[in-house]
Amino acid sequence: MASLLKVDSLTGVTTAGSISVTGEGNSTTTNLQQGLAKHWVRFDQVNSNTFGDTFNSSSFTDNGTGNTLFTRTSNLANDDYPAFITTEIQASYTNTADALIAGATQLSTSFMSTYHVENGSAADTRTVAMMAVGDLA
Amino acid sequence: MASELRVNTLKDASGNNSVATSFVAGGSAKAWAAMNGTGTPALRDSFNVSGLTDNGTGDFSFAYSNNLATADAYTAGGMVANTSASNTTYTLAPYSSSTLTTSSSRYSMRYNTASAEGVADYAYGATTIHGDLA
Repeated sequence: MASLLKVDSLTGVTTAGSISVTGEGNSTTTNLQQGLAKHWVRFDQVNSNTFGDTFNSSSFTDNGTGNTLFTRTSNLANDDYPAFITTEIQASYTNTADALIAGATQLSTSFMSTYHVENGSAADTRTVAMMAVGDLA
Repeated sequence: MASELRVNTLKDASGNNSVATSFVAGGSAKAWAAMNGTGTPALRDSFNVSGLTDNGTGDFSFAYSNNLATADAYTAGGMVANTSASNTTYTLAPYSSSTLTTSSSRYSMRYNTASAEGVADYAYGATTIHGDLA
């Protein structure tokens, strides 16, 4: 029978921050909280520093050309979370080594991205795409 | 008391923002890890990862605690530079699907400049794995 649950918040019974979800193979389980992305950003540094869309970002700080600090609404538990960042390849750059997006500093409260082009010069990019998984504080 | 809830769809209390539970299970990462590849390689933090194997310079494997259903899961790698990046690209590149198994995935830490490329051990690599659990 199909079912529908209307709820605003889910909390574990035994451990508030741990809910098991049965996996697709119908046998093992995965942890709901740990499997979720905790922070993601799509950001345009070129057009007035604007968020395209974001989850769990409270604000950004423009630290100069190609350098943006994204501050979180809810902090992560530590600085050791996996973070992934990518950007677009612009036609004016001839290969992927010419354009680099990278995480400069990652803290539990924020993530800083930098963008460099040919010869290591800092530049602004139209696409900063970042995602972090890990545990919330 | 522990409990089990069987449901097909989740909505907020106003009846909006529905999501099928199949998307909760299918859309969640099944494993992730952050690791330090320098010195004695070590996991920084992880989920559903039982161990890290050093296969050689810039060559690492992660073993899962709970296996995936197939070897062809989605694997993504990333690296973070702790200083302002120069004109070098760093990547934690997943090995081809032929080397993947349901119990582990393997990655190459690589650098690439305009004139050179290679493998090396770096301080910060990360991966996330999406797919079906066994």
